[in-house]
Amino acid sequence: MSRVGLALRAAAFVAAAVVVALAPRFISSYHALEWSQVAIYFVALIGLNVLTGYSGQVSLGHGAFMAIGGYTSAILIAHHHVHDVWTIPLAGLVAGGVGLAFGLPALRLTGLYLALATFAVAVAFPPLVRKFDHFTGGNQGLILNLHTNDWLYYLSWSIAGGALLVGWLVLATPIGRSFRALRDSEVAAVSFGVSPALYKTLAFGISSFFAGVAGSLFAISSAYVNPETFPITLSLFLVVGLAVGGLGSLPGGVVGAILIQFLPTYAQHVSKQAPQVIEGAILVGVMLLLPGGAAGLLRIAANRSVVHSSQQS
Amino acid sequence: MTRAVLIAAALLGAASVAGAAPTATPGVTSNSILVGGTIPLTGEAASAAGVARGADAYFKYVNARGGVFGRKITYKYLDDGYEPQRTFLAARQLVQQDNVFAIFNSLGTSNNVAIRGFLNQAGVPQLFVASGASTFGRDYKKYPWTIGFIPTYSAEGKVYARYLLKTKPKAKIAVLYQDDQYGKELVAGLQVGLGAKKSLIVKKVGYDPTASDVRSEVASLKASNAKVFMIFAFGKFSVQAFITANQLGWHPQIVVNDVAAATSLMQLSPTKATEGAISIVFGKDPDSPKWKNDKGMKLFQTVMKRYAAGQNPNGYYAAGMASAYTFVDTLRKAGKNLTRKGVLNAATHLNEKNNPFVLPGIRIHTTPSYRFPISQVRLERWHKDHWVIFGPLLAAKP
Amino acid sequence: MANFWQQVVSGLATGGIYASLALALVIVYRSTGVINFAQGEMATFATFLAWTFVDHGISFWPAFALTLAAAFAGGVALERVVIRPVQGRSVLTAVIVTIGLLILINGATQWIWGGAVRKFPSPFSTRPIHVGSAAFSIQDIGIVGVSVAAVALLTVLFRFTKVGLGLRAAAVNPDESRLVGVPVGWMLALGWGLASALGAVSGMMVAPIVFLDPNMMQGVLLYAFAAAVLGGLSSPVGAVVGGLSLGVFLNLLGTYWSTFSGDMRLVGGLAVILVVLLVRPAGLFGRPAVRRV
Repeated sequence: MSRVGLALRAAAFVAAAVVVALAPRFISSYHALEWSQVAIYFVALIGLNVLTGYSGQVSLGHGAFMAIGGYTSAILIAHHHVHDVWTIPLAGLVAGGVGLAFGLPALRLTGLYLALATFAVAVAFPPLVRKFDHFTGGNQGLILNLHTNDWLYYLSWSIAGGALLVGWLVLATPIGRSFRALRDSEVAAVSFGVSPALYKTLAFGISSFFAGVAGSLFAISSAYVNPETFPITLSLFLVVGLAVGGLGSLPGGVVGAILIQFLPTYAQHVSKQAPQVIEGAILVGVMLLLPGGAAGLLRIAANRSVVHSSQQS
Repeated sequence: MTRAVLIAAALLGAASVAGAAPTATPGVTSNSILVGGTIPLTGEAASAAGVARGADAYFKYVNARGGVFGRKITYKYLDDGYEPQRTFLAARQLVQQDNVFAIFNSLGTSNNVAIRGFLNQAGVPQLFVASGASTFGRDYKKYPWTIGFIPTYSAEGKVYARYLLKTKPKAKIAVLYQDDQYGKELVAGLQVGLGAKKSLIVKKVGYDPTASDVRSEVASLKASNAKVFMIFAFGKFSVQAFITANQLGWHPQIVVNDVAAATSLMQLSPTKATEGAISIVFGKDPDSPKWKNDKGMKLFQTVMKRYAAGQNPNGYYAAGMASAYTFVDTLRKAGKNLTRKGVLNAATHLNEKNNPFVLPGIRIHTTPSYRFPISQVRLERWHKDHWVIFGPLLAAKP
Repeated sequence: MANFWQQVVSGLATGGIYASLALALVIVYRSTGVINFAQGEMATFATFLAWTFVDHGISFWPAFALTLAAAFAGGVALERVVIRPVQGRSVLTAVIVTIGLLILINGATQWIWGGAVRKFPSPFSTRPIHVGSAAFSIQDIGIVGVSVAAVALLTVLFRFTKVGLGLRAAAVNPDESRLVGVPVGWMLALGWGLASALGAVSGMMVAPIVFLDPNMMQGVLLYAFAAAVLGGLSSPVGAVVGGLSLGVFLNLLGTYWSTFSGDMRLVGGLAVILVVLLVRPAGLFGRPAVRRV
């Protein structure tokens, strides 16, 4: 990336950070809660983007990794009285570990098969949670005695900002280049010496780490988890958010996260069932008309203005 | 330019100040009370939406008669699709954004558990929870602002146990139950009620609420050769259980729990499968011919016709109205100077004998240490296409 | 022992349901190379259409035929409008599109018909027949029978008709098929139409048992995937064999290993998918795919 590009990115990041930091002064407590949920989805989407957008592995089960992170935090807080903030990195590590473990056999699954397998994992996860009810509280779930305040907003957005920076960093290194190479053509990448086993598994581990952190924040913000907290629809909506934000664009995840959080609320005004119809239509429409998602739209607009200005000069 | 900035600054300043100052009692003005609730309007449990709509219709009826001490009740109920995560967000919105006076008649066990901590922390009354889980009445020391309404599931299980011990003391029992807090509590109640004769339960099989059907479970229960079949299920699963038992040629005495015994559901199964099934009842069922000329039922129909026209006046609406009646009663007892503490105090000192929507003779009664408003039921038996109540009023203490 | 045979028989009946939806999945995959995550929702929508026809006084079999026609048309339309534009693109695109359809169609079904549970008429008698200590009904046989008949018809179609040849050619090698005059575009649409009609059949057979509501097929979808994977994603015969065996296997597993009873059967289904995909991705009857580099 060029110097100018880097500077622009940094400036945009700082500007966004300022807006985010000052916003709670002007919005109600409830709105702050809504926006902290946006941050949580954003973190999960960054992870999913690394996996799907950058290393080309489709996962329809990221909700399950969020669930692992969420339940890890919940169990640590409820049964072992660990302070909530310390559980977040732990949750990420547990989820990341499971992701790495899953990534290994997942190597043998490509494209559609991987999508199918991860879909099955997401569907079969709630029963597993119910089964091990000694740890997980089964259907009753776990209640966490936490005080939810505005600081949750700052916590979520700080973590989101951190996740974005870490994501950018990882992708800027040779690891990121290997991911992209694998996505574009696995055969070519292998012939260049890129080991699919190592990098694809790593991608799984990194992305599920992010998902675990997001899940942990999710659990902390609701102060309650049960098997229905992370249903298959969550995994599907993450994919929606990913596509709408733009595959291969980490910041695009914010747009996706905003969609996931706010569409149900606002579409309800149209009709009670409208949110689903609209979400489905948006998803199909985006893939048909605007495959690059929101980020793609910006890129097109940016290119147009560049072309325009170069035509003028 | 400068003027615009100054105006903007003034507006922002005003907004932050307005946002900052809390009202005396949230949700209460001299002529209105804003009450919030959550209910599944969409999703798998959407058939229970009538609980909120029935209550809403009743409030409109009360408002048309001047409200409570001149205050009109506005009942804002939000859709949570039966998902606790959404219930949580909806409750936050109602309390933090809409500043409701109290949360009333929210439906769902895990849904209410998800919001109980937050509501109690914020000192918001969580009144007349639409769920029979005994925790809502039992754990008041930890959650003083919460109170339930309908008989608890464990009490229900005990009532069935007592009935079986009396009428079929040696019969083996097979149990199909929904594998969640709701179903498990019914089973626990049954076991406690059977006491020493607990071993009469020869087989119990749980099913997952997200399963597609329960035929395999019923088949393995049939293999136990039990003479009594307890169906502790929800919605279509209870219908499937009836039908499968019938198809397998198994005709035990069936006992079905109250929530799964709605007339509209029972009518989906052929008569041969359902004839003689037993359940409990505490409210007046609009689909039962017994209440056709009853004053309370006539009131129900009037309110439905005027304030919920075009909707199907079924048992859910009646249940909601019963709750609403008690709530209005509670508001009246809390007095003209309405506060959250006052309404909680009224709710824990109830002694209501004339709720037109519950069975005659039922006394809705609470004390600060006994928070189970309805703890009396009667038994009913299914005959052809409707329920027939029999026997006396029974105690249904948790 | 009595319970064993009952569980086998019930398992075959349940497996028949899985088989019928798995068949639709396999047809879509075989003709367009896409795994249609929305197959279940399409089937549910079609079944609601059938219910509406019956509700308006049309008797069962004419309503059945009308629904098949509508489902076929719907499948064709979806393929042309939504799937065709993304045909050449990445796997991810196709997956996301069908996920979008899943969400959209489920929402549409709820919007139009609401969430209440409805009764759906069955053309087969549900009177119990007892053989030994096991009981089942004509309906159970009917479901399995319809799936087997569908497979037989499809096999005939694929192997012995020109259209079937065109379908297979278009799926395997679209470019060369075009050169030989096969209307590849319409073949792909035909594949979706067939699958959609099959899905409708599946829905109309399932609904009398599990009752009609917008989420009716969600409990079946995972098992249908497992059945299709087990049998081989490109084999219709595999879908039926896979479905029936899966039904019996999960029933017996749940009965004799109590860990896997209740909703843990889903985990059983997951295990089948994972094991088959990892050990023999082509399934029992499929042909292993060879990737040319």
